[in-house]
Order: sequence, then structure tokens, then C-alpha cells
Amino acid sequence: MDRKPANLDSTPTQTRPLSPNIQIYRPQLTSVLSIANRISGLVLSLGAVGLVVWLTAAAAGPQTYRVVQSAIGSWAGRVVLFGCTFAFFLHLCGGIRHLVWDTVHGFELRSIYISGWAVVGASVALTVGAWVASLFIAGWH
Amino acid sequence: MERGRFRSPLARAIGLGSAKKGARHWFAERLTAVALVPLSLWFVASIIAHAGTDYAAFIGWLRAPLATSFMILLLIALFHHSALGLQVVIEDYVHSDAKFAAVIAVRLSCYGFAVAGIVATLRIAFGG
Amino acid sequence: MIIESSDQVPRVTLFKRFPVPRNFKVAPESRIETGRTWSAPAGAMRTKAFEIYRYDPDSGGNPRLDTFHVDLDDCGPMVLDALFWIKSKVDSTLTFRRSCREGVCGSCAMNMDGTNWLACTRFISEMAAPATIYPLANMRIIKDLVPDLTHVFAQYAAIEPWLRSKTPGPEKERLQSPEERSQLDGYYECILCFCCTSGCPSHWWNGDRFLGPAVLLQAWRWLTDSRDDATGERLDELEDPFRLYRCHTILNCTRTCPKGLNPGKAIAEIKKAIVEREI
Repeated sequence: MDRKPANLDSTPTQTRPLSPNIQIYRPQLTSVLSIANRISGLVLSLGAVGLVVWLTAAAAGPQTYRVVQSAIGSWAGRVVLFGCTFAFFLHLCGGIRHLVWDTVHGFELRSIYISGWAVVGASVALTVGAWVASLFIAGWH
Repeated sequence: MERGRFRSPLARAIGLGSAKKGARHWFAERLTAVALVPLSLWFVASIIAHAGTDYAAFIGWLRAPLATSFMILLLIALFHHSALGLQVVIEDYVHSDAKFAAVIAVRLSCYGFAVAGIVATLRIAFGG
Repeated sequence: MIIESSDQVPRVTLFKRFPVPRNFKVAPESRIETGRTWSAPAGAMRTKAFEIYRYDPDSGGNPRLDTFHVDLDDCGPMVLDALFWIKSKVDSTLTFRRSCREGVCGSCAMNMDGTNWLACTRFISEMAAPATIYPLANMRIIKDLVPDLTHVFAQYAAIEPWLRSKTPGPEKERLQSPEERSQLDGYYECILCFCCTSGCPSHWWNGDRFLGPAVLLQAWRWLTDSRDDATGERLDELEDPFRLYRCHTILNCTRTCPKGLNPGKAIAEIKKAIVEREI
């Protein structure tokens, strides 16, 4: 089916073209939130490795711990940590939305869109809240 | 696609037949996800609560039996969930023979990192 | 912002397409070239530009994008009317499938302004300027807007979409209560237009093995039919990491169904039935 049937004349068989898919398909809340959940999951997989590095450094003693802590506390480290925090809350809220879908609830388009925007809003709010809280508590400490 | 060029469309759609499995993987992903909701929130809340504290405070926190247990459970759930999810991602996008090698490498790495994390946690908890 | 039904056209467009290169992973024979611009009709007061995907298998060339200017005062309100106008007044070689012109046969399914829908039920006034018309996404193209649906229909045949009974047939009809019959509502109405399957990214990447939303919705239609006796066998055939579990609940399918059906929900019901028999 991928090839045009051969003609009786000299025209050779040619592969039929594939119509464009991701090149032209409209990004919608459905597909955008889905790929965001996947990307945040990938980021968190790297973050998990970072967690193990951090724990290993702490187990090795206060000197190695201090090296890792200063890397996290650096400007670049904080950007990475902020990104990981946002990825965490996005994947958490998106994941809960998926768990609700697994019980076969919330599949009407209206519910899909309301829960979708709720995931976006909650992720932003929780990320900002977590950082404000930690900066406040760090200052208090 | 020269191999199987004259296979009927129905035979092509049926392929190698149904594997008759997949529910276990799907359920394990949900099980680890449900475990991760409280465990990861506990972890993030603890990090925020200990923001700005020193090494001794961190060690003291992780030495508590409950914290040690939660951290180990978190590492197990996190890396199992990650292994399952990454396998799905590789299956989605990699279609060459590299797929099998990639899945094996990623899953083994996840379990390796999980063990490394558990060992580090135990060293902190029971170390001098 | 909140979509309540699939026929709602979004009012705000932030991104018309994903930020990937135009020819991202496109094979050489599928690359779309610039086509010709057909002249606007003389003396027309209201015109609209349509960019339409063209492919001529007899020419041996690549697909291209032609631009037509349609006289809206001379043409019916639907996109299918515009296609007919172009075919009769401008370029008679423009090729597309069509039949009922009222949204019940599924022939004129195509991608308009980035989403899959039926051309006969999409208003021209709802289209962007210029309106872009492509064939159903990720399909082998026979000519112009006509996709080759052989593989997706083969996937449909693979789920054995007929009543499978183990009990001998009754003297009269097989009985079904109104409640049992209502289990089929929302699934039997599928017109097999394949808008959903063509819009599913998982089917784009794994369409050779993933059955896709249309076929899985029909699989659920037969699973939930109280007169069918082969439920266990049907679930065995579906429980496969690729046939069923490539669905990651992306939900482009439910968003795009021109009949307002819910393939995403049907697939979730299948997954739930499979888990229910294991625990």
C-alpha cells in the first residue's frame, strides 16, 4: 500500500508520500500537556541521579557534601534546581490527572480542559510557593 | 520494505500476534506513582523545612528511623517508576535493533542507581 | 480556553504547529514543495485564500502546496463546498473523497488549519486566513487529499468487529435490555473517518503496531456488547504493549472526533477491564 501499483507503461513504481503529521498538526492542550508530562519525567529521571549523587556526597563526609552544596547554591545550580522543581510539580499534578483518568473519570472534553488548566496553574503556584517558602526559611535559619 | 512485500494488509496489521501481557507493566507504573505522591511530597517538604541548615542538621534528620525508611522507599519507588517510564519512552521512539540494548541499559542503570542511593542512605544512618 | 465540545474552533492560537523544523524527519518523496498560485476570480467581492496540499502520482514529482482564491459569494458555507467550487471553476484535477455532505459517511475527513475534521461540517467562516488544507495526517497519499486507508482498515479487521457467540442462536433475536443496549451508546455511532487515529501522535510513531483510537473504540464496542461471548479472547488479543498500551492518554482523539465520540474513554475502559480480571 506504500507503493503506487506499477503501470503497464515504463513508469516505475514509486513510494507514495506520507502526509505531514507533527510538522503541521495544531498543538492543543491535550498534546502539549502530554508531552510536557513526558519531558518533565525525563528531567526528573536525571534529577533522581542527582539525588543519588547528593546522598553519596553526604555519606562521604562534610567536605564532599560542602562541594556539592556549593555547586547547587551556585547561580547555574539554582537555575537547574528551579527547573527540577517545576518539572516535579508539573509531573506530580499531571500524574494525579492521569491516575484519575485510570479510574475512567474526567473524560468529557470540558473536564479534560478544566483539569488541564488546573495542572498548569497548580504547577506554577506550587513551584513559586516552594521557592518562596525555602528562601524565607533559609533566611530564618 | 521489501521483506514481506506481498503479505496481506491484515497479516501486516496482526504482525507477530498479541503478546498477551502488558497489564503488569501498566499497573506497576501506577502502583509506584501512588507510592511516590506522599513520598516525594515528604522529601520536598523536608528539603524546604531544612533550607539553610548545615551538614550536622541534615545528617541528624536523615538518621531518624522514619526518615531513613522513607528515603529508602522513595529511592525504590522513584527508580522503579523511572525505569518503567523510560522503557516506554524508548519503545515509543527507538525502532531499530538498538531498542533492546537501550531498554536493558536504562533499566539496569536505574536499579544500579537505586542501590547506590540506598547504600549512601544506610551509610549516613548507621555511620559514625 | 475551555473546550466543551469537539466542534468548537479555538479562538486564540499561540502556536500553529510544534516548534520542529518544517521537514523534520520527512522522507525525500514526502517533502512538500511550493506549488502554483491560481489567479483570483475576476470581479469577486469577497474572496478567501486556500492553501491546499496537492500530489500527482502520474507526474513523478513531490507533493506541493497550491494557493486558490475562492469567491465566497459563489460558494456554499462549508469547506467541502469550497473544494467543489475550486474543482468546478478553477482546477478540475483537485481530487478528494466525498459522499453524504452531511457529516455521516466519513469520506471527506481531512486536516484543516492543523486539526482533523470532516470538510462537509467545517464552516469556511471558522477557518483561518489563509485556510490550510492537508490530507489526514501521517497517511500514505494516493492523490491530492485522498489517503490510503488500507492499513487502518486492516487493523479494524484484526479486532474481528462482529458478534462472536459460543451459545447457539436463539429462535428469535438475541435479547438485550435497554440498559445493556445503552452500553453501546457513544461507541456504535463511529463512522470510521479515522480523524482520531490520524491525529494520535502514538499512532504516528508506532502506527504499524498500535491499533489507534478508532479501532480500539470499536474493540470496546464489541467488548461491552452483552450479546458477545468472546470477551476474554478479545481482551487477550488486545493486551499487548503495542496494540493497546501505546496509548498514553494524549487525548487528541477525543478533541478531534467530528461525531463527538470519546475514544480516550473507551481505551480507559479497556485498560480497566484488563486490570479487573487480574486483581
